Amino acid sequence: MGQPSHQINKNAANKAAAHGASGAAANSAPSSTKPRRGRLPRAGIGAARIALSLLFIIGFFLSVFPGGQAAVRTVLLAPAVIAASEPAPLALLGEPIRHVRKAISSRGGPVYLDIYEPTSPIPPIPGAREGLVLIPGVGDNRQVPQLINLSQSLARIGIVVEELTTTTLIENNIAAVDSDAVVQAFNYLSRWPGVGANRVGIAGFSGGGTLACLAAADPRIRDRVKFVAMFGSYFNAETILQVYGRRAITVNGKTVPWQPAQYPLEVLANVVASALPQLDGQLIISAFLPGGQPLTPAQLESMSPAAVAAYHLLAGDEPKQVSQNIAAFSPQLHALLNTLSPSSVIGKIRAPIYILQSRDDTSVPITEAEEFAAALARIHHPYDFVEFGIFQHVQVEANPPLAQVLDDVPPLFRVLSEILQPAS
Amino acid sequence: MLALSLAWLLLGIIVGLLGIAAKLWPAPWGKRAWLILPAIGVVAALASGWLGTLLLGKLLASAVALWVCVLCVALLPPLAGRLQKRYQIER
Repeated sequence: MGQPSHQINKNAANKAAAHGASGAAANSAPSSTKPRRGRLPRAGIGAARIALSLLFIIGFFLSVFPGGQAAVRTVLLAPAVIAASEPAPLALLGEPIRHVRKAISSRGGPVYLDIYEPTSPIPPIPGAREGLVLIPGVGDNRQVPQLINLSQSLARIGIVVEELTTTTLIENNIAAVDSDAVVQAFNYLSRWPGVGANRVGIAGFSGGGTLACLAAADPRIRDRVKFVAMFGSYFNAETILQVYGRRAITVNGKTVPWQPAQYPLEVLANVVASALPQLDGQLIISAFLPGGQPLTPAQLESMSPAAVAAYHLLAGDEPKQVSQNIAAFSPQLHALLNTLSPSSVIGKIRAPIYILQSRDDTSVPITEAEEFAAALARIHHPYDFVEFGIFQHVQVEANPPLAQVLDDVPPLFRVLSEILQPAS
Repeated sequence: MLALSLAWLLLGIIVGLLGIAAKLWPAPWGKRAWLILPAIGVVAALASGWLGTLLLGKLLASAVALWVCVLCVALLPPLAGRLQKRYQIER
């Protein structure tokens, strides 16, 4: 082809060689119409070519396209999330990492940062790493093995993770002033060597989701936040108190019993106590501490109406008077709960919001996530909502059923690959 | 990186063998193709794996090694065949 015909005719073997793929035929005698020994059937050749084509397409997609790169990271990260341990492929393919502890200041006091980052040089393509500010919720979770595993696994796939906690969170409480801690931590991570300033997202677990939303709505950073991910977080502090008061949730039009765990009761008691008279607050806190005793009628009589209402909601002993108890809240308590509600700031958030929720959560009922998703849909805010069965609140359940794992993998894969897109 | 390099070496051999199965070699190579195609695969996989590590990081290097290796096994033998033929004709 493209050559003088007299040259081609000069050497028949060369003609066959020019066609490459059919080169083996050039070795055959003209009479060899039946397959030679050891020759692959035509179907085998076709299958091998198809396999090579597929390998090429897969390799090209996974390494060149941002969606493909996110898929590689997700494939490596998802088993670490589900199994709550580092899988062998991640250890083989992942980056070497290191853990650094820092402390910065904010309006609410010191912010304790645990930074997990890859130690290998930043790849020229894309030239910067994704950063993730991770608020692991109320309490001191810095030594929780599943959290450490998650942060390390994220670092191994090239993400710089900055876990943060504050004195208020460590003391099992949530304060709106800590949104400044998240803003400071966000700015700190944005300036971290190798992190792309426009590739930083915020993820909040449980009560951390509230701070993630408050910070993402903050005018100082809201245009730079790449995404907000919330796992097991409430949407509105008053509606969650209503659910706690009823000890029931309405799912698909059916009211089903719902029993909260002890720890969120302790946290909510701490939260409401800060807007109550000091003695009332102390009584409520003591009632919901581990091993705490219900308040006596005499103690209740000594308390303000708002404190009594808050107590009954948390104790769940007046499920039919939830609305009256909410109405008995003082203006300060209403204002506090409004300030601590993501529902009050969703209109100010610019970044897409990913809502993750376990179905049988005994800390935050799934209805909160559903209401959150519905509110985002109403205002046409970009969001994704996934619910899982393999988690209890924000922790992976031990030995989840295989069917449940298989059920949860596609949505987990989808949301993780969305969250990991800024790394590409 | 040693384990990864060994994995890329294996990948190169497999892709080379697939190239043989797909009859991607020029006729004059004959039985030598059984050696040359896996060798092309191994060299391409290792070189692209290391280059991929430098450019995109360790995580994505294997995907780079995969497609570059397939590309080399698919394109280099026919190209070499053409060059060989042109050289023979010129002689």
